[in-house]
Amino acid sequence: MPPKSATKSTPANPLFSLWKAYNESTVDRLKFIDSFLVFLMLSGIIQFVYCILVTNFPFNAFLAGFGSTVGQFVLTASLRSQVNPENKSEFKDVSPERRAFADFALGSIVLHFFVYNFLG
Amino acid sequence: MLFPISLLLLAASSVQAATLLTLQSPRVVITSTTTKDPIRSEPLSLAHKLTHPLNLTQTSTLKLTFQITEKESGKGIQPHQTFLRFYDAQSGEEGIQPVRVTSAGKAKFELNMSKPPVSLPPTTATSPLQVTLLIGSPNHTPLSADLFDLYVPASQPAPVHQDEASFHILPEINHTFRAEQKLPPRPISAVFALFVVAPWVFLLGLWSQNAPRPTHLASPHILPFIATLTAFEALLFWYWVDLKLGQVLSYGAILGVATIFTGKHALANIGSRRLGGK
Amino acid sequence: MHILRKIAWLAISVLASVQARSSIGDNVLVVVEPNQQKEYSLFFENLRAQGFDLTFRAPKATKPLLLAYDVPSFSHVILFNLEAKNTVKDLAPQALIDILGHGVNILAVLPQKQSALSTLASEFSLILPPPNTPLISYFPTRDEPPTLIPVTVSNNHDILTTGMNPVWFSGTPHALGNNPLLVPILHAPPQSFAGEIGGSADVLVDAAEKGGEGLWAGSQLGLVTGFQALNNARITFIGGAELLSNRVAEKEISPGVKSGNAQFAKDIAAWTFQESLVFRIDKVEHHRLNATEPRDQYTTNDQIVFEAHISKFEPRTSEWTAYSGFQDLQLEFTMLDPHIRTALLPVLGSPGKYSVTFRAPDRHGVFKFVINYKRRGFTYLQSSTTVAVVPPRHDGYPRFLSAAWPYYIGAMSTSIGFLLFSALWLAGDIRPEKRSKGQKTE
Repeated sequence: MPPKSATKSTPANPLFSLWKAYNESTVDRLKFIDSFLVFLMLSGIIQFVYCILVTNFPFNAFLAGFGSTVGQFVLTASLRSQVNPENKSEFKDVSPERRAFADFALGSIVLHFFVYNFLG
Repeated sequence: MLFPISLLLLAASSVQAATLLTLQSPRVVITSTTTKDPIRSEPLSLAHKLTHPLNLTQTSTLKLTFQITEKESGKGIQPHQTFLRFYDAQSGEEGIQPVRVTSAGKAKFELNMSKPPVSLPPTTATSPLQVTLLIGSPNHTPLSADLFDLYVPASQPAPVHQDEASFHILPEINHTFRAEQKLPPRPISAVFALFVVAPWVFLLGLWSQNAPRPTHLASPHILPFIATLTAFEALLFWYWVDLKLGQVLSYGAILGVATIFTGKHALANIGSRRLGGK
Repeated sequence: MHILRKIAWLAISVLASVQARSSIGDNVLVVVEPNQQKEYSLFFENLRAQGFDLTFRAPKATKPLLLAYDVPSFSHVILFNLEAKNTVKDLAPQALIDILGHGVNILAVLPQKQSALSTLASEFSLILPPPNTPLISYFPTRDEPPTLIPVTVSNNHDILTTGMNPVWFSGTPHALGNNPLLVPILHAPPQSFAGEIGGSADVLVDAAEKGGEGLWAGSQLGLVTGFQALNNARITFIGGAELLSNRVAEKEISPGVKSGNAQFAKDIAAWTFQESLVFRIDKVEHHRLNATEPRDQYTTNDQIVFEAHISKFEPRTSEWTAYSGFQDLQLEFTMLDPHIRTALLPVLGSPGKYSVTFRAPDRHGVFKFVINYKRRGFTYLQSSTTVAVVPPRHDGYPRFLSAAWPYYIGAMSTSIGFLLFSALWLAGDIRPEKRSKGQKTE
């Protein structure tokens, strides 16, 4: 999702240039969201690794814990796409501060309700 | 007080009303189809049974010959009852085989193990059959003689009624339970729990770089919404620890109304702030 | 007349409930030729002394009826010497099986000749020898004819008094089928056989060579055999009426020793008429360990306590008393098949109580606690109680397991992250964002 249009290609280290382009061209508010997304991803990966390596019992707790990170990731990503200025044309009617965040908050609360319900 | 038959026998023998019977030249011979010579040939005695038990295999034949005579006159007679009793003391099974006796008292009995008679009781290989000769005749003192112990090949067990088992103690049945879920060692779980916390370092590090500064945190427009959201999360956490579904739904409904109210207010405020900013 | 009789029976049965000697009733119908009655008077006197009400009826007579309006008029029936060509309808084999099905006990004396009772005996897995072949034994030497035989009594079913003197027997033996409902009470002596008096030796050998049931001989033969139907009604076949007669009851079995016949007759009557070896399950209970409330639903892996209370009928006092003597009771916990079969042992210190504790299987479904105790000679004890075994409720599983710590932390971590994110998002200044936005659009 990070915009790549403004990338100045440096053949020696494309990853670095990608990173640099991202750093330069992304607004702080999106970086703020991206940080949270990466955090959720890491959290989910560690739980998944624990489930694979150590135990999947109780499985419902795994589903709840892992699902909470995945669900939160999806909700946050959706928030991100709505507040991303580049997508403004797509979400003309959605006022970023009001509708997008209200959706995000409501979705998260409902998600967390199911997560704690399943956590056992 | 128990009166076994033998005691009665003793008591009755004193009556001494009838003539005694005896056997002339009783002899047992075991032959086999595989060898020419008899495997065993022994004279029998009425007084005591053979010291060594006899063994029969699938291929051998037992031959028993004797003559029944009156003890005093030596005259051969044909009694009414000339039976061989095969008794397995271990199983209590018994078989009675009548022996054909000529009018001169001569008797010959053959037990061919390749074709055992139906009167032979079901046998096991472990316990011998006790073979007894029973001679009874209306005008003579009855004669009962333990001849020998006989080992024969095990036969099919006696047929058992299908419901017979339920008349005895039945084998116990234990349910095999699924294995208990094994919990991994606590330290491992604890270490992974720490790992799950670890991304916080990363998150806080990043946020220190790019997070918006919470300048409006104390604002009376924003704070109630954050507080109600926090209350919601706390309620859900409480639900996990202790509450029932009904409780959490009713509390959640009340809190939900408050949250909608504070949320609308806060988001409207932010919107106006943005417009004002513009 | 009939109504009068009915009233009389009613009165008797009311009386009977006061001083009953049998666990099911006292009225006995004795079917016997009137001129033979006195030959067995001692046996009848003994029964009367035990509290039974005897009613006599000739074999050819049609009244009193055994079964009136499908209700048995008597609790017990004694059939003596029903000779051939007995055409009375309610003494036909099928009618007798029918009254046994109504719970009436029958003591039947098998005649020497072929008769309706022979047909009845074959219905109960008894195989009779050809007619007119009584049991003969030349052992031991004695003054009596070879058909009057002293028989040692061995008691393997607790039916007979222990240490009983040998009894005199004269009559027909029978071979026993392998039906487990049969209760052999008296076996023939090993030296005895069924044959014609003064018959030839060759007949016996020929019979044996024919195979099958050709020769009736030896201790596998039965002389007195009981049969307990699945409804606990009992029927006993006696190979010869002589066993019950006054003549042999008073006859010496050996010099100076009275025969055991009188006691034997008493004992078999007591067993047949459900006085002895009568048991019942008073109640069964079940509950969870460390609880007392019975439940109709248990959770898998629950520790379940099952208790049964069993009592025995005491004919002397006509009372049911707690009985703890069974050591081989078993309890089954079944769903189609038994999932658990375990010993149900008497509890020390509480008479009549049997208890077992077991863990409910980890399979859910409708289970039954089943007691199905069948032993030869004893009342069959049967009990079945249905309960449901259900999986734990959604909140019945163990919680806060150490294995799930990472998941718990993960969920909480998401929650806190969401809160912080929201707080910063809402409270955050918009201006820096605007600035960066501006940078970007420039």
